[in-house]
Amino acid sequence: MIESVSASIMAPTGPRRLSLGWESAHRPSPSGRVAFVSDLSPRPRLVMPLAEHVAGYGRLPSGLTMRMALDTLRASNLTGRGGAGFPFWKKLQAVATAESRKSPVVIANGSESEPLSKKDTLLLKNNPHLVLDGISMIAGLLGAKSAYLYVKDREAHTAVNAAMRERRERGISELRVTVVEAPAGYVSGQETAVVRRIAKGPALPQFSLDRISTSGVRGAPTLLSNVETFAQVAIVLRFGADWYQQGGQGSDRGTRLLTLVGAVGRPGVYELLPGATLAELLREADAGDPRAVLVGGYFGRWVDLGTPNSTNFPMDDQTLAERKLSFGAGIFGVVGHDTCPVVEAAAITEYLAGQSAGQCGPCMHGLPEISTAMARIALSSDVERGMHDLRAVIPLVEHRGGCQHPDGVIQLVRSTVGAFAEEVKLHRSGRCTARGSHTSVLLPPGATVAAGAVVR
Amino acid sequence: MRLVIDPTRCHGHGTCAQLLDEYIRLDKWHYPIVGKQKVSAGHADLLMRAAQLCPELAISIVDD
Repeated sequence: MIESVSASIMAPTGPRRLSLGWESAHRPSPSGRVAFVSDLSPRPRLVMPLAEHVAGYGRLPSGLTMRMALDTLRASNLTGRGGAGFPFWKKLQAVATAESRKSPVVIANGSESEPLSKKDTLLLKNNPHLVLDGISMIAGLLGAKSAYLYVKDREAHTAVNAAMRERRERGISELRVTVVEAPAGYVSGQETAVVRRIAKGPALPQFSLDRISTSGVRGAPTLLSNVETFAQVAIVLRFGADWYQQGGQGSDRGTRLLTLVGAVGRPGVYELLPGATLAELLREADAGDPRAVLVGGYFGRWVDLGTPNSTNFPMDDQTLAERKLSFGAGIFGVVGHDTCPVVEAAAITEYLAGQSAGQCGPCMHGLPEISTAMARIALSSDVERGMHDLRAVIPLVEHRGGCQHPDGVIQLVRSTVGAFAEEVKLHRSGRCTARGSHTSVLLPPGATVAAGAVVR
Repeated sequence: MRLVIDPTRCHGHGTCAQLLDEYIRLDKWHYPIVGKQKVSAGHADLLMRAAQLCPELAISIVDD
């Protein structure tokens, strides 16, 4: 057991990467900053036993105070890994200082409702102890009486249960974590939908005048973050902000997971060291000569690879923000020259319109209209009218939903017509740069969209 | 005073817009768009009535 507090958040001696345990499965890129971790069907065969986990990462730090944890998390610049990218220390502070008579609630969101994402399922299947460490630390710091893990994937559920059983058998006394099954559906992972489901309600977004940090599950101050965020917390609070930021010896330091999908030779979950460039990632994934990348997931923004210097930048929060990009849910969707990115975006928009919970009028009525307009633009059937309709409908939808769903769709649409203005211009004259069929490479497996059948 | 409408509850009945036409207009689907300005003290009774008469009880009154 680590005795002194200062030692407990200093750099340790063992290996520390998030993916510890599959070092043998890795084939790091020549730069050493990008590692392929798993294909898109991560198997649970690599679950790390608790003993190996503790040997690698060390025990949980003891004697950690909220003040020290907040300072460390702040210095680490750790941001949420579920989509919004909010600084984790701010979230923790908001719950810690919430004025409430109710004991705080901690929720780790592993529902991975972005259908292309696999990183969270991979993490839960392969390294559940690290996520449980993070939940345990945060619940302990907050004095929470309840903690939940919200999970959709069945095998991940099994892996988490096995890990919790192991912890109980090994006599690790900690708050019991309740695993709650996340139902299908894109919006079931939205913050307020999770809170509602944990309180045994439907997994649908709800409106509140309060933030969940002050009034979440049954009115209790609630800290909800993505499962990867909790795993990162377990690393930052063990090894310290300096190590996480700058690394100890060699290049070993904090990493992040992402899911790479679409027109690449090796789709899958990748682990990045800070400084890794988009070019390195694409090379590692055998992307060949791609046309565009959708960065962040369905609510993300496009990078047109036809523009100069479009891949030669380090993928860290700050550099991405300077380019008006964000990691979002950690999904990178690659489109090649066979398909048209505008058609891809139209197909995604149609899929997302169908995923509306149907609770809020502007989302329920507006998204199908936005989708129809996108289909007109994508399929060159009255591009003029499509653009006109987008300009008319978007202001009626934006900021008027009870959750982020409609605004996320609008971000994708804006980015599409902005990044591919030249392509849209071509479509006006009935042409398109796509060399092959219009088969989407970025729709979720099994999803069917009319792909413009709405436009006659 | 301000009024805040819960968009997940609102079904676009339009009662609020009839009572508070200075502050609320309806979009093309008949859902309310609430203006930015605060509701004046003289309209407090109207605001209360709008909140009470909303068939979905979607209106909250916020004092700030």
